[in-house]
Amino acid sequence: MMQYLVILLDDTSVAYCHCDNPHRERRLMPPETLRDGIRYAMTHNLMIQFVYPDYDLPQDYLDAIDTIDHHDIVPFPRQGDVAVAENSKLKIENSAGAVVVLRMKKAELFVSGDTVAALLRQVQRLNIVITDLDTFTDADLVPYGALLDRWAALLKEEYLAGRTPQLNLLTDRMMLTAPNHCNAGVENLTLAPNGRFYLCPAFYYTASEESVDPEDIPNQQLLRLDHAPLCRRCDAYHCRRCVWLNQRTTLDANTPSHEQCAVAHTERNASRRLLAAIREKAQFMPEVDIKEINYIDPFDIRKDF
Amino acid sequence: MNLKSIGDAWQSGMAKNITFIVTKDCQLACKYCYLVGKNVKERMSWDTAKAFIDYVLAREDDFREESVVWDFIGGEPFLEIELIDRICDYLKLRMFELGHHWFDSYRFSFSTNGINYHTPEVQRFIEKNREHLSIGITIDGTERKHDLNRVWKQATPDENGIIHPSDRGSYKDVVKNIPLWLKQFPDAGTKVTISSPDIPYIRESVMHLYGLGIHQVNINVVFEDVWQEGDDARFEEQLMLLADEIIDGGWYQDYACSFFSEHIGKPLDPVRDNQNWCGAGRMLSVDAAGNLYPCTRFAQYSLRSKKALVIGNIRDGINPNLLRPFLTLDRTTQSPQKCLDCEVASGCAWCQGENYDAAQTNTVYQRATAICLMHKARVRANNYYWNKLYRKLELEGRREEFERNKRSVEHQTC
Repeated sequence: MMQYLVILLDDTSVAYCHCDNPHRERRLMPPETLRDGIRYAMTHNLMIQFVYPDYDLPQDYLDAIDTIDHHDIVPFPRQGDVAVAENSKLKIENSAGAVVVLRMKKAELFVSGDTVAALLRQVQRLNIVITDLDTFTDADLVPYGALLDRWAALLKEEYLAGRTPQLNLLTDRMMLTAPNHCNAGVENLTLAPNGRFYLCPAFYYTASEESVDPEDIPNQQLLRLDHAPLCRRCDAYHCRRCVWLNQRTTLDANTPSHEQCAVAHTERNASRRLLAAIREKAQFMPEVDIKEINYIDPFDIRKDF
Repeated sequence: MNLKSIGDAWQSGMAKNITFIVTKDCQLACKYCYLVGKNVKERMSWDTAKAFIDYVLAREDDFREESVVWDFIGGEPFLEIELIDRICDYLKLRMFELGHHWFDSYRFSFSTNGINYHTPEVQRFIEKNREHLSIGITIDGTERKHDLNRVWKQATPDENGIIHPSDRGSYKDVVKNIPLWLKQFPDAGTKVTISSPDIPYIRESVMHLYGLGIHQVNINVVFEDVWQEGDDARFEEQLMLLADEIIDGGWYQDYACSFFSEHIGKPLDPVRDNQNWCGAGRMLSVDAAGNLYPCTRFAQYSLRSKKALVIGNIRDGINPNLLRPFLTLDRTTQSPQKCLDCEVASGCAWCQGENYDAAQTNTVYQRATAICLMHKARVRANNYYWNKLYRKLELEGRREEFERNKRSVEHQTC
């Protein structure tokens, strides 16, 4: 069931997920499109997430936005519910309640141990989004696991001290007892500045001709978890199950690539180790059980399904 | 004749099917052919074939199937008999030199229109590889049925090299080679394809093929959405006439038609019966450009409305991510609710390539259901066939004897 509407206010609205925004020319959503989008959300009981560009919007836009309950996704250092940055060397002015999305390529991720550790002490929640996930090799998983363990050691100390910073790659799985996927096209849709609906911003960025009718999304069932043969049996609950990445890497929206699965399972296993380490010192999340497994890609055990 | 053996596909389920699309040309331009882009331009070179063989044989660990079927397809494969002969010689040599586990378990397989079957080049090839050959000649039945669709191409292709049908049927050019073929491969079967205009000729065509001495007739309706209102009723009537003739004439004892099978027309369990029907993704095909496909049906010349689904090429190899959707396919995920609820679902086939081509989005997970009414008509006629046959056998006291000797029917749908 649809729950969210993402509204890209401008062609240069900040990219906050796996796909870069290739647009460099400003094109503000026409005011009537904005009003129609808000009206659509109100009539369909959808929570709006407005995605902002890196410039100030006209006052009439701000007034329109204020007519509905919403969340703001803004480029760092602008103030919003979620700030998106592309550089881990951030100076957080006001850490109270800060939720930061940090988009990084693999190469930067592997040298960001200290800066991310520093950020974890400053923000309420840090979402790290790897923007070249498809370039991960199996050899990369070892240093990636070690990096996660390093952050896990810090998080363990924070949790035992009574503070609870969140790092999506480690703490989400630790808190989840069911999948928490992106669910683009099932629970959320995106309205682009051109007035058309897309499954998510990435489809607008990379295939703007592939807009959808929100009342009749073709093969919508294939976007649902129950129609994803690998994912429906998977317990890497924190994985975004990105259907855009699926489409790009396997040519089918319901099938993840090996890289997406292997990275998610490396994170899952690191979460398991973190959970065990915290439990050595204190009772913590007794309802969560992350089992020991001997694979990093459910595809490798598909014959056992 | 061992009736149990002739219906079995060689090493069924244990063999890797590897297909060379040696040419996209054919002498014929059959009207129902799913190969919409046949042309005279795309012929495989020796360099491409050799590079592909070297790629496959160098990766024994990636291809662990016990056996291999090296399949040759076109267009018409025997148009490239010189290339095929060279490929087969090289395959045998390299499998031996490498000590490859397929050296003792391989077969060369051909599906041909039969027109060049008698030529010295083809006959020399057959003589040389006799013990490892499987050749099927496609003949559709009576002359009028065969010539309805299986016609010669026009003398010259269009400006893009695409070939188009003429008015000249090919029956006489094919049937003359049937005796030689059956002499060399007495257990061979033929493949018959039914589209809407063929329906009135089903009974006479199957009986005609039996009369030619072909004991196994593999027959299926096309998966494409070609069916007209009332076709299912006409189809059912033809199959019931065919059932009467097979049973009343005693043909069922030595001859088989794949339309009639005891295993079709039952509901399917969503868990126990959840396997995919089609082998796409477990097969491998290569074309003249050196592109690799999960099945020939995903090459561009087979597709009406979608882009070719290329999973790699002979230089860079296979992208394993592109095989993942195929290797995780199951029946329930790709089927619409009406198929999951269907009371006569078993035996209802699908083609992954046609599913892809007909799908609303770029996916292999949307099952095309154009044959739905035809399958249900087949099930009704099939029920009639077995009820009539078993009653006859019981009255004659021969039911147990029949059960002991009955053949397994080959499900060959593409």
